Amino acid sequence: MNTLPAWLPCDPRGEFRLGPRVFPGRVWTASGCFGYGLNGHDIVSPDGGTPLDDIGAVVTKTITLAPRHGNPPPRIWDAGHGALNSIGLENVGLDRFLDEIAPALDARAVPFVVSIAGTAPAQFSEMTCRLREAAAGFAHWHGVELNLSCPNVAEGGIDFGRDPAMVRACVEAAAGETGDRALLAKLTPNVASIAELALAAADGGAHGVTAINTLVGMDIDLATGQPVLPRRRGGYSGPALLPVALAKVDEIVQETGLPVIGVGGVRRLDDALKFFAVGAVAVQVGTAQMNNPFAATAIAAALR
Amino acid sequence: MSELPQASRLTGQVVALDRLSTSMYEMTLSLERPVAFLPGQFCMLNLGGDREMVLSRPFSILHTDGPRLSLLFKVVGAGTRLMAVCEPGAPVACLGPLGRPFLPPTDDRPHLLLAGGVGLPPLLAWHRRWGGDADLNLFGGRDGGDVPWRLLSDGWQCSVDRHDGVPADRETFVGTVIDLAGSVLDTDAAPRRMLACGPLPLLRAAAGLARERGWECLVSVEERMGCGYGVCRGCVVPRVAGDGYVTACQDGPVIDAAAVDWASFGRAEAVATDCGCEAGEDES
Repeated sequence: MNTLPAWLPCDPRGEFRLGPRVFPGRVWTASGCFGYGLNGHDIVSPDGGTPLDDIGAVVTKTITLAPRHGNPPPRIWDAGHGALNSIGLENVGLDRFLDEIAPALDARAVPFVVSIAGTAPAQFSEMTCRLREAAAGFAHWHGVELNLSCPNVAEGGIDFGRDPAMVRACVEAAAGETGDRALLAKLTPNVASIAELALAAADGGAHGVTAINTLVGMDIDLATGQPVLPRRRGGYSGPALLPVALAKVDEIVQETGLPVIGVGGVRRLDDALKFFAVGAVAVQVGTAQMNNPFAATAIAAALR
Repeated sequence: MSELPQASRLTGQVVALDRLSTSMYEMTLSLERPVAFLPGQFCMLNLGGDREMVLSRPFSILHTDGPRLSLLFKVVGAGTRLMAVCEPGAPVACLGPLGRPFLPPTDDRPHLLLAGGVGLPPLLAWHRRWGGDADLNLFGGRDGGDVPWRLLSDGWQCSVDRHDGVPADRETFVGTVIDLAGSVLDTDAAPRRMLACGPLPLLRAAAGLARERGWECLVSVEERMGCGYGVCRGCVVPRVAGDGYVTACQDGPVIDAAAVDWASFGRAEAVATDCGCEAGEDES
């Protein structure tokens, strides 16, 4: 067992409860950075470990009702201190996820949280309902994380995630269907008050919030003067986000007291400890998991 | 493909960095365990310590010998600039081997190998392992200084866009590698199986040549990669018939040229997208 700092506000080892659900650990992988949780099982470390060892939960790549092809490439760019992405919610769609992926995750005993996105509150309730009907018997399905970052097409393109009333409506729509699974809302940092969004999510029935999603970012190719991403702006993630994410998590914890899953720039144990220091109940590893499939499991092992 | 070599993430150090041409370096690593690979497979490389990059970079594997692994690169951006100044002993992390390889010959058809620039390693490795006397092995570079002559001593013909810097004892075609292929095939039209790796224009031309002749053509595709093992969906290549994308890292890098939508590959604005939102922003 490692010696952890005495100042830690919680013991980050072992299981923990979030809403109605007990999670096997506090180090998770972030949505979009570890696929659906089915990749990397065949990659080994020199000591024979796998990237899934000791993982508290894999948050799946975001699922939408219909399959999506995603955005044209290039979709990813190393901007030096962080990475820009414009994947475009490419995913297999809910039907295939329920038919193939969720059963495979459960069969492989991967603890998982399903990330979902929709374009109207009704889609969040429909998707959650169908997920519960299909996966209620799965021991390793622990929760739902709402990716509230797609524009609300029905409402004329206003981002769900920036409007507290819409955040509340989406969470409320899903909350009626989650049963005994944990319900999380993943919040955007691209707002003046993230605490306001967190309160809206809690009002809607979320058991906790995940903070933060990516910052809006951009880079320019100096050879052409053009944006490096075809859609100009993308999501900025990686180590540069750590101080921003800590501040946002701190704001939510200080102002609301809600359980927060901290995410943004976590590469190693020290980064995770900083999130625990500001009161996060768990952490997610995102971009670092792309660089190193063993990033999250190494942090989990160090906390063991 | 259960027969693929086991992938692992290994740390190690740079043991040699050799400049092979004006643009090309060979980096040799010593890793903590032996590594096996099949031609066309790649590794994701990152540097250690203060030089660690946010994202690892993909490189085709040129050669392995026990725990030693070598790769080729040219300086194209910040990551490869850092690699080009690595001293022996510099720490590295290497994830691999990854991806679908070029497989061995399936029948007695001779092969046509088309390599451009740093697209050489997969085909050089294939040639060393499975190449036959009847194969046609062609490499294209910009000029004589751009060609890694030391690697091309064995059964390879070269083309250059400009003749500058070509050694006097090297017979070299002036034109593209596709032009060179055309000139050779004028006198030898036997059906061949094509393998190609290099810049996109070369792959596109190779696919066109294969289509004209009705030949099978396997290409190793390249796109900006985030992870190398299929989790980020960053390195996508458009499928024919507007049927979405395949990933270079997991479905490739070696794929059937007939499966790629060459008209839109590399031309983002031409690709139909189903994304009605500013996705990317807040995406995961």
